Amino acid sequence: MVDSIRQQRSESQLLNRFLGGLLAMLKVIGIILLFLSVTALVIFLFLYFVTLDNAWMLIPGSFAFFGLMMLIVYFAKIPIGYNLRNLVVRYRTTLLTSVAFILVTGVLTGLMGFINGLKRLAQATGNPSNVIVLSQGSTEEGISNLAFENMGDIAQQEGVKRKNDEPLCSRESYLVLSLPIAEPVPGSPTRRLLQVRGLFDPVASAEVHDFGLVPGGEWFSDAGVRPSVDPNKAPLVEVVLGQGIAKQLAGDRSKADKEKARNKEQLEVGDTIPLDTRELVVTGIMKTEGTTFDSEVWAKQSVIGPLLGKTNFTTLVLRATGPEQAQKLEDFFMGKDKDFKYEKTQVNAFTETNYYKSQSQTSIQLLVGTILVATVMGFGGVMGVMNTMFAAISQRVKDIGMLRLLGFSRWRILVSFLTESLLIALLGGLIGCLLGYMCNGIQATSIIGGGAGPGGKAVVFRVVVDWGVLGIGLTLSMLMGFVGGLIPAMSAMRFKPLESLRG
Amino acid sequence: MKFLMLIFKNLRRNMVRSLLTSAGIMVLVFVITLIWSILGFLDMATSEKAANFKGIVTEKWSIPSQLPFSYASTLENGAAREESDVKPMDSMTWQFFIGSVDKTNIGFSTFIFAFCMEPSKLLTMMDELDSLQPGPRATLDKAIKAMEGNRQGIIVGQKRLAAIEKKVGDKIKVFGINYRDIELECEIVGTFPPGRYDNNTCINRDYLNASLDAFKAAKGRPHPLAEKTLNLVWVKVPTKDSFSKMSTQIDNSPMFAAPPVKIETASSGVSNFLAAYKDLLMILRYLLAPAIIITLTVVISNAISISVRERRKEMAVLKVIGFQPNQIIFLVLGEAILLGVVAGAISSIGTYYFVNRVIGGIPFQIAFFSSFPVLDGALWWGAAIGFITSFAGSILPALSTRSIKVVDVFSKVA
Repeated sequence: MVDSIRQQRSESQLLNRFLGGLLAMLKVIGIILLFLSVTALVIFLFLYFVTLDNAWMLIPGSFAFFGLMMLIVYFAKIPIGYNLRNLVVRYRTTLLTSVAFILVTGVLTGLMGFINGLKRLAQATGNPSNVIVLSQGSTEEGISNLAFENMGDIAQQEGVKRKNDEPLCSRESYLVLSLPIAEPVPGSPTRRLLQVRGLFDPVASAEVHDFGLVPGGEWFSDAGVRPSVDPNKAPLVEVVLGQGIAKQLAGDRSKADKEKARNKEQLEVGDTIPLDTRELVVTGIMKTEGTTFDSEVWAKQSVIGPLLGKTNFTTLVLRATGPEQAQKLEDFFMGKDKDFKYEKTQVNAFTETNYYKSQSQTSIQLLVGTILVATVMGFGGVMGVMNTMFAAISQRVKDIGMLRLLGFSRWRILVSFLTESLLIALLGGLIGCLLGYMCNGIQATSIIGGGAGPGGKAVVFRVVVDWGVLGIGLTLSMLMGFVGGLIPAMSAMRFKPLESLRG
Repeated sequence: MKFLMLIFKNLRRNMVRSLLTSAGIMVLVFVITLIWSILGFLDMATSEKAANFKGIVTEKWSIPSQLPFSYASTLENGAAREESDVKPMDSMTWQFFIGSVDKTNIGFSTFIFAFCMEPSKLLTMMDELDSLQPGPRATLDKAIKAMEGNRQGIIVGQKRLAAIEKKVGDKIKVFGINYRDIELECEIVGTFPPGRYDNNTCINRDYLNASLDAFKAAKGRPHPLAEKTLNLVWVKVPTKDSFSKMSTQIDNSPMFAAPPVKIETASSGVSNFLAAYKDLLMILRYLLAPAIIITLTVVISNAISISVRERRKEMAVLKVIGFQPNQIIFLVLGEAILLGVVAGAISSIGTYYFVNRVIGGIPFQIAFFSSFPVLDGALWWGAAIGFITSFAGSILPALSTRSIKVVDVFSKVA
């Protein structure tokens, strides 16, 4: 009988030891998982910050991290109700701390949306089957200077798509026009830098670049000009506009012209733009939204070139038979293969998608600036939450002592206070993301460029606050909450129960 | 004095909180100092000067401006034809040469962006170089003399020199990108003082023009850009009135018909060039900087609110021993302001010295500005931001101390 009882006790002790060991192991695994997930979030945040690609994955990542915390809270029987009540009771401190998170996250998501829009614009422009040919050494169209005699031969190379037995290509002259603004606001710029693309054949160019006109418009004629209503005036120069620049130019009109305009928001077919003694007349609006061409004015090269003193071509865009062939053409012109390279002249050639991706250098510079600002602002936010949590802990020393006496282990106290700080971060992060999301779709202007030194193209684009940007904002907020809450929570877990109760 | 000591002691009592709040203030003031320096610099570049106007003459419609070099001598003279016409106090021409020290590998580490100009004009017409301290001025003057003695001599900015991995005395060959088939063999004779011209290069204009002549002689035809080599002409005039007169002279001159030219003040020219950055600068000015200031105020307000709540008993005791409610308010405000002013001042003054002396400016490319100095104003910005934000953040918690009733506090204790 006694033996049987002993055996049962021994079995029970063994079972208890086993369960105790298992629980301890689970605790260790939980803590390791928690820190691993934080490390993973930091690494992902850094990677996605740099690329902005697939950054939406940070949203499930953040929620998974928070979910993991909640699982730990549930299984470890953390007194979460106690934490929630404290947040509600000290609502002023909670709200003030959240405001810091809201501002940091809101500003960050707005800024990232700006950069994301700029980057999307550069990435969305271009067809993978197109090859851009510039003069040797040129990385931007503005400084390219193609020799006219070589252009025909370059277009005739194998791999270039043919239509009606002619190579499908676009001969272009890119130039920037400094156009006076009719009634500039005092203190603001007096001129607008307008990007003009002179084309040899607009229909072929439109086919190469894959876009058409908004219904009601037409491409400029072969002559590129049309007679003015006033016979004493010089012929009007025909132009087509990108949708973005049509809106910008509408805003540059004089007050009187705006009042007379059929459409106050955007230039329309038939509207004119004064250019010294000449006038440009809009014959069509291009469907170019979301591309860099949205900021351009297209005209007949033989008309606009001599008018603005640029008679040479800067760019030749070739339509290859497919993306692979386009890559082969790039390699061929750039002389990447010693045995198979273009030898008549030296040029710079890029597939159009590669070219516009390389124009994202400006957004990378802005991104680096934003990361710096976000890090520093985040540090400020961390200081704020640390202050709050230290204060919360110092006010609740006796509570902690009581919890410890009730059997809550040190690590449970740690998780409890860490959860409290994460809840503030989640609240602030979500509201901040919502604020940042309000910037989504706003039209903005900036510069994109890829070369070293000054230069680049002025572009009109829309701010894009997508899931990726929101993911970055939310993750940063959660990390701020984690870092800001960890040190105070660690100090709380070190309190000794009796000393705490003594005060 | 005793009051001040009391403030110090109170701050020392909770060192962790004081340090955390100070750290928050410091990092946020650091960012504001950088942002305001960039904006302030651009504001200065785009604001009209009262005297010593600089005007820029460029092609009327096209950018980049490309004028025939034959325009240079007339424009340097302000297109003056009559004795009574206004002539510039000084002038300079700019021809841009974009090239690479490696013909096949063109990138950041090989890129050269050069102003081709008369070397002597570096010290009289170039912004910031015309007001150098005697030491750096003498060093640059020595390099200019070397350039004048050897027209193949070039001056390279310090960061560019490091990027192309060369030193003063080395010889380099610059392969033209905008001037196709023009190769300049140059000798580095000096560098620019650290700062604005870190990434720029100066080439003697005579050497570029001689190279274009040599091209014509060798090929039997002029270079395609031979008639488009003059990019800008700078003129300096004493007053706005003389600038207007010179503007009329240039507009009415029959010399500049094809292509036509325009003259605008340097500030107006820079402002137009920066138009594309308008939204970005607006974000910095009206979104980021205010958001940081509000964050700063919230961080301080939070810290002071917590501090006041924790010290209700202490404040009740102060009232019992004779402190007036206003004195307690000043005590709380004093703590916040002392913390804000000291942390803010340390941050902005530290940023001023670190950025200007150690890293040579804020590296951020906007248009043709590649680096921005932290402005002298930063020496007081930090203290001012600290004062204002700490006052704004602590005024409500400080006023709340008036509602502390001694009886209530001690009844709870009892």
